[in-house]
Amino acid sequence: MNPSNAPSAAEYGGDEVSAIVLDPGFSTTRAGFAGEDTPKSLIPTYYGKYSFEGQGKLIYGDDVFVTPRPGLSIHNPIGRDGVVEDWDMAEKVWEYSFTSKLTGAKPGNPLHNGLNDLPEGELPSEMEGVESEERPLADSPLLMSESSWNPAKAREKTIEIAMEKWGSPAFYLARNGVLAAFAAGKASALVVDIGASNISVTPVHDGMILKRGVQHSPLGGDYISSQIRALFKSNSPQPIIITPHYLISAKTAVEAGQPPQVKYKTFPPERAPDASYRTLVEERTLSEFKECVVQVWPGPTKLSSTGPNGTPNEEIARNSPGRPFEFPDGYNQVFGVDRYRVVESLFDAKAAIQDPESLFPAPTQAQTVPELIKAALNGVDVDIRPHLLSNVVVTGASSLLYGFTDRLNQELMQLYPGPRVRISAPGNTSERRFSSWIGGSILASLGTFHQMWISKKEFDEHGPNIVEKRCK
Amino acid sequence: MPPFKDEHILIIAPGSQVTLAQLGLPESFTPARYRFPTRMFPGEKKGEYEPYKIRERRQEVKVANGSDAPKEDVEMKDAQPATEETANGEAPKTEGTDEAKAEGAEGAAEGEKKEENGENVQTVEEIFYEEDVASQEGAVCPMENGRIVDWPCFFALLTHVYNTLSPPFHTPIMLIAEPVWSLRDREAITQFVFEKFKTPAFCLLDSALAVCYGYGVSTATVIDVGKDKVDVTAVTDFLINEHGRGIALEGCGGDYMTDRLLELLASKRFTREMCEQLKRSNITELLPQGTPLPGTAATARQDAPQAAPGSAQTGPEANQPRNQNGNTDRDEDEGVLDVAAIVSGNTSEFLANREKEKEKEKEKATTKKGADQSSKPVRLPNSKKEKATFQYHEFVRLEPEKDAPSGPGRFIRHARDIEIGIERFLAATPKQTAGERLSSGILEDIATQIHHTILAVPDATKRSDLWDSLIVVGNGSRVKGFTQALLATITQKFVLSPSGTIFTSEIPSNFSTPLPTGGTNTPAPQMPGPMHHPGGHGVNPLLVAATHSSNPAATNMPPGTPSLDQSFSHHRSTGHSQTPTSVRTVKAPEYFPEWKEQTASNAASQNAPGLNGPGGPASGGSHRGMEEAVFLGAQVASKVIFVLDQGLSKGFMSRVEYNENGPSAIHEYVM
Repeated sequence: MNPSNAPSAAEYGGDEVSAIVLDPGFSTTRAGFAGEDTPKSLIPTYYGKYSFEGQGKLIYGDDVFVTPRPGLSIHNPIGRDGVVEDWDMAEKVWEYSFTSKLTGAKPGNPLHNGLNDLPEGELPSEMEGVESEERPLADSPLLMSESSWNPAKAREKTIEIAMEKWGSPAFYLARNGVLAAFAAGKASALVVDIGASNISVTPVHDGMILKRGVQHSPLGGDYISSQIRALFKSNSPQPIIITPHYLISAKTAVEAGQPPQVKYKTFPPERAPDASYRTLVEERTLSEFKECVVQVWPGPTKLSSTGPNGTPNEEIARNSPGRPFEFPDGYNQVFGVDRYRVVESLFDAKAAIQDPESLFPAPTQAQTVPELIKAALNGVDVDIRPHLLSNVVVTGASSLLYGFTDRLNQELMQLYPGPRVRISAPGNTSERRFSSWIGGSILASLGTFHQMWISKKEFDEHGPNIVEKRCK
Repeated sequence: MPPFKDEHILIIAPGSQVTLAQLGLPESFTPARYRFPTRMFPGEKKGEYEPYKIRERRQEVKVANGSDAPKEDVEMKDAQPATEETANGEAPKTEGTDEAKAEGAEGAAEGEKKEENGENVQTVEEIFYEEDVASQEGAVCPMENGRIVDWPCFFALLTHVYNTLSPPFHTPIMLIAEPVWSLRDREAITQFVFEKFKTPAFCLLDSALAVCYGYGVSTATVIDVGKDKVDVTAVTDFLINEHGRGIALEGCGGDYMTDRLLELLASKRFTREMCEQLKRSNITELLPQGTPLPGTAATARQDAPQAAPGSAQTGPEANQPRNQNGNTDRDEDEGVLDVAAIVSGNTSEFLANREKEKEKEKEKATTKKGADQSSKPVRLPNSKKEKATFQYHEFVRLEPEKDAPSGPGRFIRHARDIEIGIERFLAATPKQTAGERLSSGILEDIATQIHHTILAVPDATKRSDLWDSLIVVGNGSRVKGFTQALLATITQKFVLSPSGTIFTSEIPSNFSTPLPTGGTNTPAPQMPGPMHHPGGHGVNPLLVAATHSSNPAATNMPPGTPSLDQSFSHHRSTGHSQTPTSVRTVKAPEYFPEWKEQTASNAASQNAPGLNGPGGPASGGSHRGMEEAVFLGAQVASKVIFVLDQGLSKGFMSRVEYNENGPSAIHEYVM
């Protein structure tokens, strides 16, 4: 079918069914109705587990951040590589993402919503409603996204959940790289996705990923957090300890650089939240730090080298005014050149701040963004490289670091001086953060897409393996 | 479509406790004219609901009032609601007892309505269906924490509201939506409204947005404190930030404070109802953290509210020995009423007289008390007094009378003064039995949620504005000093220290610059644009240019790729610094005199809790303040959406639209 032709009226059904688009990530899960411009539901993929009066309880959503619970521990069903590890919990978290704001916990049984009241004397057919009540997605097609390196087994498992557990009438699994390209209005692009646990480079050609070119490395937002933590540890005059708000009962204002004067809250050990909870809440402070302080050295040369007029770049950075930051316990300090150093290793592996206790091993040069792009381009046909280079789509929340796109542009211009490099990075924060969801929203509301759905019938006939054949 | 008229607009604002409704917009916007308790009673048939408890009564008695023609019970059933409805709806009762029925007073019943039933008795056995207007027995609450838990009941309530107000045919409906309603819920409501009421136009307005309309601001953080939940919403430029929004945060509403008071006072034989009335009385007050409590050991007690829930049994328990005479029942004898006088004569008159006598007695008592404590100045502010008294109202069941032996009991209002110590200042302190939470009280939980919500707003330049424009609404926040105490908690916990903010002047920042806008506090009918304030809080482009040229990173940047969006600098989280540097609330609008008076008289007469009969009109004596600003906003918004704009900005969904696209089209109109 020629996509430039408008769909004929007969096949256009986009308005009648509101498909649900679910874009699960490592850090957040996005869900919403197709055709809308932002996902209505954005929840952390992290979930909390605690026991109360002998009963195990789970909490999902933003509540995890707001209210500490006794013995609360935090888990994530998705592994660091972006592939689901705990399927049972992934199913629950995803289910929460669309039931909480979109579909409601249970779709109202049409027999009881007052619109279909039977005249007296007729027997209500209760049994028909029972099944649909248990299936949260009984009347919505579902479009899900996945990373480009999602193994076949995980894809089959996903369609099984959608079809068998949620009762979705139709399903499609799309690569998030492709969706991000669609969100930027491109069918062919080189998608650079800077996520929380991963950064990935995906060459997309005519709406298909070029598998051999897909590259990914773990230098995402969480890696930057670990770099910031390493910086805090080595901070002078004293190491900085992040104390989350929930552990503080009163603070007193102190001068910059002075030790905090604070009254801590204490919990009895059997009720105190787990260390994983503290880490999660600390992450909130770190993301505030990233927003307010962290900056990417704009280039054109590395932070460690000298600039065009002979002065070392570090010297220039040192002379620019610093940025202050106050921690929840009242400690505050101005960050000068350090605010560039924490992200420099995304481009220059040698600049990484060493921290032996970090979860992340020291990065290799091959894991940096420019090298990933180089490797991705080397993996694709030489003819389409210039085309991809002129359509570099930058997405992912961590790409919102101040100065990131400028630096990337500089690096690419140095790597590929010949061809024209064009970076397309949406200015709108939510477009950048949710671009793969937005692409899914566009795709699922297109009339031409309707023949792509895998229907329940097809699934029943061919089994979960159909996803490999249909969702390439 | 002919234009909509002011007097035809129907506004319904359902809440977990009370549903507000009004037909027509008055010249100057008023508090809601109708207040319905959000509950229904199961009807005869399964799936049917009645607004009042229907009792079935079989009896075989002599004709009590010979002049009355015998009536069929069918007539009774149908005619009775209508007459009562009109009586309630049009002519507010003048009798003291009738009005004095507290909404919250469970198990309360009203005497005289029953008498009409009593007069119609006949000699043969007859089934009577009578409406027990005040009974709560078997009531079904369709909403819990804002969630709709019982759809048929909710729809029955909507129908009841609609029928009571009986709007004309060409009536647009404005329904205030709870934030917790999912999109599917909204679809279901849309479908119901269009198909049942055949309305020509329908608007679902989010409650947080309605509050913004009521206050006439485009950017605000709306904190809606309900019965048992809190919603925290960041609204920027009349757009709700769905991400990070605090929706139906449970256990943070007014019930928390009642429960806490109960916890403190349970050892003194306080019931929950007593605590509820104590909370509503004007002697209960929240003092900002660190304010010394009145009394001798003020400084020692100061730490009590901050003690962690599990840490020790110190806190409130330690205070109790100081209040040995906390609960003084001063007029026990009041329960003994001259029943005969009530039965034979005019009940209300009799009770009104009693009321007056009681007032006098009370005055005497207080003067006596004042004389006792002559060492103290007579008029201390409440927050300085160690002890204070509130009047507790309860409904006492009267002995059944001879002529209506099997009828429901009659009740009489009974008031007594109860003295309370400093417990009344501790309503928001951490509970002993914190249950599943590790929190330090309701205020801290709400403050944390506000912090989370504002931090989740993607446009970082707006965050400072959001901190400076908090709006606290909802009847749960009506406790004296609630807002101030909340602000104090935020200041203590989250506001950055001045030493941190001194440095912020060094870096480019554009948030604190006052912008010359005229639009922020304009009353809505004069709004230039129907939905948006054109001169609102945009970023001053000159300022942006200035900040960016001074930024070294920007200057030594070589010309980037042309496709880089130049406007991105507006959205980038650059040039902003941490928030909050200050916290403020938005001032209530002053151009609605009715609302203003309400606010003023609010504190003075809170002593009488919710004096309206169920479903009855909110009489002048009901003291609703800006806590119900959501209803003011609903009126402003309906004026704008239905009358001024008339659908040009797609503010409401029309019937044509519904017929074409079905209920899911409401997604585009959900405001």
